[in-house]
Amino acid sequence: MASTEKRRIAVTGIGMVTPVGNTTEETWAALLAGKSGAAPISNFDASGFSTTIGAEVKGFDAASAVPDPRLLKCASRSHGFALAAAAEALADAGISPTPEDSHRWGLAVGAGMMSVAYDDLKVVHDYATDENGYFDADGLMKPDFPASPVNFCRWQSNAGLGLLAKQFGIRGYATSVHTACASGGQAIGSALKAMRRGQCDFMLAGGFDSMLNPIGISGFCLLGALSTDNDNPTGASRPFDKTRNGFVLGEGSGFLVLEDWDKAIERGATIYAELAGDGNSLSCYRITDSPPDGNGPIQAIHQALGDADTTIEEIDYVNAHGTSTQMNDRSECAAMKAVFGERIDEVRVSSTKSCMGHLIAAAGAVEAAVCCLAIRDGIAPINANYENPDPDCDVNLVVGEPRPGRIRAALTNSLGFGGSNSSLVFRNPENVNSKEVS
Amino acid sequence: MKNASEKIVITGRGIVCGAGATPDDVWSVLESGETAVGPYSQWDGEKWPVQVAAEVKENNRTLVPDRKLHKTISRTDMFGIYAADQAIAESELLAHRDALEETEQGPFNDRTGLIVGAGGGNYSSNYDYLPLITEAEGSLQKFGSELSNMVTPMWLLKNLPNNVLCHVGIRGQLKGTNACITNQCSSGIMAVAESASAIWNGEADRIVAAGHDSPFEPEMVLYYHKLGLMSSEAPKPFDEQRSGTIFGEGAASVVLERESDAEARGAEVLGEFLGFGCCSEATGILDLDPDGDGVRRAIEQALDDADLAPSDVGLICAHGNGTRASDLTESIGIRHVFGDAIPPVTGFKWAYGHLIAASGIVDIVMTLEALRRKSAPGIPTCEKVDPEIGDFPVSTESVTPSSDVALVICRGFGGMNVVVALRATS
Repeated sequence: MASTEKRRIAVTGIGMVTPVGNTTEETWAALLAGKSGAAPISNFDASGFSTTIGAEVKGFDAASAVPDPRLLKCASRSHGFALAAAAEALADAGISPTPEDSHRWGLAVGAGMMSVAYDDLKVVHDYATDENGYFDADGLMKPDFPASPVNFCRWQSNAGLGLLAKQFGIRGYATSVHTACASGGQAIGSALKAMRRGQCDFMLAGGFDSMLNPIGISGFCLLGALSTDNDNPTGASRPFDKTRNGFVLGEGSGFLVLEDWDKAIERGATIYAELAGDGNSLSCYRITDSPPDGNGPIQAIHQALGDADTTIEEIDYVNAHGTSTQMNDRSECAAMKAVFGERIDEVRVSSTKSCMGHLIAAAGAVEAAVCCLAIRDGIAPINANYENPDPDCDVNLVVGEPRPGRIRAALTNSLGFGGSNSSLVFRNPENVNSKEVS
Repeated sequence: MKNASEKIVITGRGIVCGAGATPDDVWSVLESGETAVGPYSQWDGEKWPVQVAAEVKENNRTLVPDRKLHKTISRTDMFGIYAADQAIAESELLAHRDALEETEQGPFNDRTGLIVGAGGGNYSSNYDYLPLITEAEGSLQKFGSELSNMVTPMWLLKNLPNNVLCHVGIRGQLKGTNACITNQCSSGIMAVAESASAIWNGEADRIVAAGHDSPFEPEMVLYYHKLGLMSSEAPKPFDEQRSGTIFGEGAASVVLERESDAEARGAEVLGEFLGFGCCSEATGILDLDPDGDGVRRAIEQALDDADLAPSDVGLICAHGNGTRASDLTESIGIRHVFGDAIPPVTGFKWAYGHLIAASGIVDIVMTLEALRRKSAPGIPTCEKVDPEIGDFPVSTESVTPSSDVALVICRGFGGMNVVVALRATS
């Protein structure tokens, strides 16, 4: 690996739509204040489900986020979040594709699962089932069956990608990935690789998801993956706490604008951080369970550090995957302890899922953005709701108050169902400069 | 862009589609000129406007013998697992690993990647909820409370888009870099392109790339039909009478590694990955640039990436899905690059239908086969090239590629265009 010749990549724009805020600064302020986005689900009648709470995006106006009515029609709820977050990221960076450079702009997204809307499934049900509810294909041939091409478009696996490319005129490399909860991290990793190999000069990279609908939440309820603390929504997500009992389902989107470091400097851009390293491994253990010894996540973290030409010594903050399930948090802590050794007592660690809930395919992207903001402001957001220590999770959690202190580099982990692990390293721009001087 | 001294070669292939479950079987169908598109069996098509498809005929247990595994995977996953198993077996990659010293096996696994292109989801998977909707009589509250009595707890796991990644990984302990690409039609071909890039980049020493899909299902047929994208018979790419595409289903897989590594372990080299191009036309979900802009740019990128001149290309395997707009704009894009010197063009969807997420990777395996055999099957359903397309070198008969280099073109929703350049090793 020719590490010395790696192209340096800058993060120059951030956009976020999350359960704790519909913009980056609103989200960041809420995370620093330890404000929870969880509440009883209001998007639909969830009263019969084993879990009735979730972390919903609130007061989101899709029409103002997606000015083109043709695009808006084809946009699902999560696509609306994506278009809004991406627009914010581009505005923040102060650049966007032009006809001259649009072919050098790329797009990498972590997209949510293609889960059908309940209302659409209900229509299929009403036309195309027998008396027991079993599917009967001929029902779709009834002349009045409302087959909607718009719904079909919205449902395509790369619909979000297509809408983003169109809205912003991105004509270069484009990829859409889905590795469950690791999707957002993997998308940003894919973007880094595409930029390093010279395929793009600018990239919009992020993730979006919304499974807070009857079909989306059903899959997790069936698996027993969600917290059932329905009477205590704001305390339900408590990563690393001994009494943790599942995650709180969230929704939203996060996007970063990435560009060539030298070009960003040249145009006088504000640089949040260097996107310095990507690590990516497969646990090959079980489909939902995490390896108790951290084998899998360990390799991803090592790779990310190596890819960033750094060591554990430079990492001052870890934004953990920390879902608040028994297995994930134990496995992740085992991995962190294996990699960081004694230094784990000095590195600030928090899972912002304690406030935002689990944004699934968007989680890694939103948490990457959190790392950039933590570096910018020199402060680590809190791991809320941590009360009962778990000896398996004895890492240096940021509890109570956000913890100030310069962050030279930050690490974020995203560990998905199916065993995909993504780790990213972001470096403080001042450390990039001092590195070059020395 | 890449380290030119490192050749990336293909040392294993797997394929399953309506035309067969080995490269040789599928080749026989392509050579015979007899399409595998025919009446389907998954539902009664009598009342349907489209009554044919290219269904996989092999039964589940032939493809994936592990009975337990079938409880946690869907039909598309079965295809992907089968194809990856075949490719890994042909490459003898794991046999090689298992012969290493035990201490070397862990690092070998950590440096072995797996990149999968997946369809991302099926309408039919959601039908598991239909009896619950009946039971709930329109009440969402009851839907929630009866959920666990009516739907399998495994539902989400059975339908994860990244299942093939997970299960092939577990079976082979492929623990290195990985991705599951869900980019509609571009997914499978991008899995191959990203794999080669990752090896060039030093992220892994070898990668299994796979792509799988089972788009053939009632709602998909209906919506494609409503959008005017479906034919009622085997597709007729580039023909003046073409009226749309027909679904296939299946998967393909290739094993990629450095030529030097393949030689060192004595693996048979089947072909070489030369480079790729990938771009969006920024036209939204369904629309296409009328000037073939994305096709042109993706071809130019692939040629540049592979250090090739247009005149080096001896064969083009076109996307050729048989729809009016896609075939026309594809031909325009090709003409922009090659002018009057277009190499022989073929395409295989007339034989095994359109496999959507798996379409590009299935075409890669069969294009490699055509280069190796120095014979490119024609498009027997293209009897008269569309005058609007003009003079275009497609043939109903087999032709001889004019060199050992081919381009595979894959187009998809989202304005996607991906082109891969391959060379045969004979």
